[in-house]
Amino acid sequence: MTAAAPVIEARNVRKTYGDRVVLDDVALAVHAGDVVCLIGASGSGKSTLLRCLDLLEDIDDGVIELNGREVSDPLVDPREVRRSIGMVFQAYNLFPHLSVLDNCTLAPRKVHGRSRAEAEAGARELLVRFGLGDRVDQHPDRLSGGQQQRVALVRALCTGPRLLLLDEITAALDPELVGEVLDIVRDLARAGTTMVLATHEMVFARDVATRVCFLDGGRILESGPPEQVLVTPEQPRTREFLRRVLPR
Amino acid sequence: MSADEAPARGWTPSPRELERRSARARQTRRRVAAASVATVAVVGGLAAVVLLSPGWPRVRESFFDGFHARESLPAIVDGFWINVKMFLIAEPLILVLGLAIALVRSSRSPWLVPLRGIGVVYTDVVRGVPTLLLVFLFAFGMPALDLQGIPSSSFFWATVALVVSYSAYVAEVFRAGIDSVHPSQWLSSQALALSRGQTLRHVVVPQAVRRVVPPLLNDFVSLQKDTALVASVSIFDALFTARDYANYNFNYTPYVVVACFFVAMTVPLARLCDWLAARIARRERAGVL
Repeated sequence: MTAAAPVIEARNVRKTYGDRVVLDDVALAVHAGDVVCLIGASGSGKSTLLRCLDLLEDIDDGVIELNGREVSDPLVDPREVRRSIGMVFQAYNLFPHLSVLDNCTLAPRKVHGRSRAEAEAGARELLVRFGLGDRVDQHPDRLSGGQQQRVALVRALCTGPRLLLLDEITAALDPELVGEVLDIVRDLARAGTTMVLATHEMVFARDVATRVCFLDGGRILESGPPEQVLVTPEQPRTREFLRRVLPR
Repeated sequence: MSADEAPARGWTPSPRELERRSARARQTRRRVAAASVATVAVVGGLAAVVLLSPGWPRVRESFFDGFHARESLPAIVDGFWINVKMFLIAEPLILVLGLAIALVRSSRSPWLVPLRGIGVVYTDVVRGVPTLLLVFLFAFGMPALDLQGIPSSSFFWATVALVVSYSAYVAEVFRAGIDSVHPSQWLSSQALALSRGQTLRHVVVPQAVRRVVPPLLNDFVSLQKDTALVASVSIFDALFTARDYANYNFNYTPYVVVACFFVAMTVPLARLCDWLAARIARRERAGVL
C-alpha cells in the first residue's frame, strides 16, 4: 500500500439483480500504475464490478471512491466521474453512423471542450500508433473485429483517462485477432496506464497484471500477484477454475 | 462480376459447370414464359370483365371521355397546385413537430414531465380522430374563434389540420426509431461521459432517423393523397375542382384525371421508398458479414 489515495477503491460493494446477488462484499483498491486483472467464470461478477466502478450500475451497498472522494453518492454527477475513466466493452459498441475519426473525437469535443482540430490531431496520432492510420475516414462496419476493438480502445484513450476499464475486450474476437488487441493493452500497461480488466486470457494476465483477482459467485476469493494467484493459488476454487481454463 | 465473364487466369469452366449453366438458362426461359402467360391471362381476363360488362359503354362515356378530360384539365392543374403547395408546406413542419414530440416523449428530465404528458395525450387523441374530421374542426372551428393576428383562411387551417394529424403519426415513427437503437449505444455514450441530450443529438437520433426513412416516406405518400381531404371544406384543390366540373357537366372524367395526377405524384416517392428500404437492407446484411 502506498501513501497516496488509490485511483479508485471499492469497499463492501454489493450489487443484486432481483434476488440474485451479483457482487457480495467486494473490496478492491487500484493505485496509479496498477494493472488489475479480474478473472473468473462467466457470471462471477467481473463485468458487473467494472460497470459499478464506472457508475453505469447503481450499487446496493458499500462505497466507491475515486481519488479518495466518494462517488457512489447520488449527489455526485456520474458524468463528472466518467470524464476521467475510459471504458471499452466486449462488443466494441462503436457508433456505426460515424467515421473512425468521429467516433474518437466525439467525447473530446463535446465533453472535454476541445476544438475539432485539437481533438482530431490527438485521435489521429493514437490511431496511427495503433496501426489504424489508413482507417481514419472509414466507418466501423468496414473494419475487422480486431480493428474495431482497437478503435474502441483509441476512443477510450482520446479523452486522456486516468483509469481504463476493459471488459473482456477480446472475448468477441476470432483467435487470430486477439493478439493485435492484446499487444496494444500490453503497450499501455508498459507505459504505466492504470487499468482494471476482466479477461479470460490467462497467459496475458500473467504477463501484464500487477495483481490478479479471482472472482467466484460475486466475491473476490483470492487476490495477489499473478505468479501467486495463477501459479500457486491457495483456494481450491481458484485451482479448479485454472485447471479448466489453463492450457495443459 | 458475373461468372460468365472472361475466365480467370488458368481457369475454364468444367463441362459439368457448363451443363449447369445451360440448365439454369433453360429454367429461366421456362419461368419467363410462364410469367408471360400468367400476366396475359390475368390482365386479359380483367379487361374482358370490364370491357364486356353490360354497362361499360355508359361508364366509358361518363368516366373516360377525352373531351371532358381536356376541358377540365386547366382548372384541375390550378387546383392541383394547391395540393402540391399544401404538401410542400406541411411536410417540413410535420418532420420538425414529429421529431420534437418524439424527443419530448423519450426525455427523462423532471422539468419536461408536463410536456411529456401533453405529448402522450396529443398522439393518442390526434391519432384517434379521423383526419377528415380534424380538417373540418380546424377549417370551420378555428376561424370562428376570431384570433387576432392569425390568418383565418381555410387553406391555412386545413394545412394546420394535416400537420397536426400527421405529426402524431410521424412522432410515433421517430419514437420507434429512437427505441430501436441498441442500448449498448447508450451505454458507450454514457461511458464517454456524454449527457443524455448529447447522446440523443450525436448518437441515437442520427441512427434512428436513418432507420425510419422508409416508414416516414410511406407516411408522406399518404399525406400527398390526404391533401385531397381539404376539398371537403370548399378549398379549390384538384378534387374540389373536379367535383365542381362533374356536377356542372354531368360527367365524372375529371375524377379520373385527378386520380392520374395523384398517382403521378405518389409513384416516384413510393419507388424512392422501395429503393431506400432495399439499400438499408443491403447495408445491414453487409454489416452481418
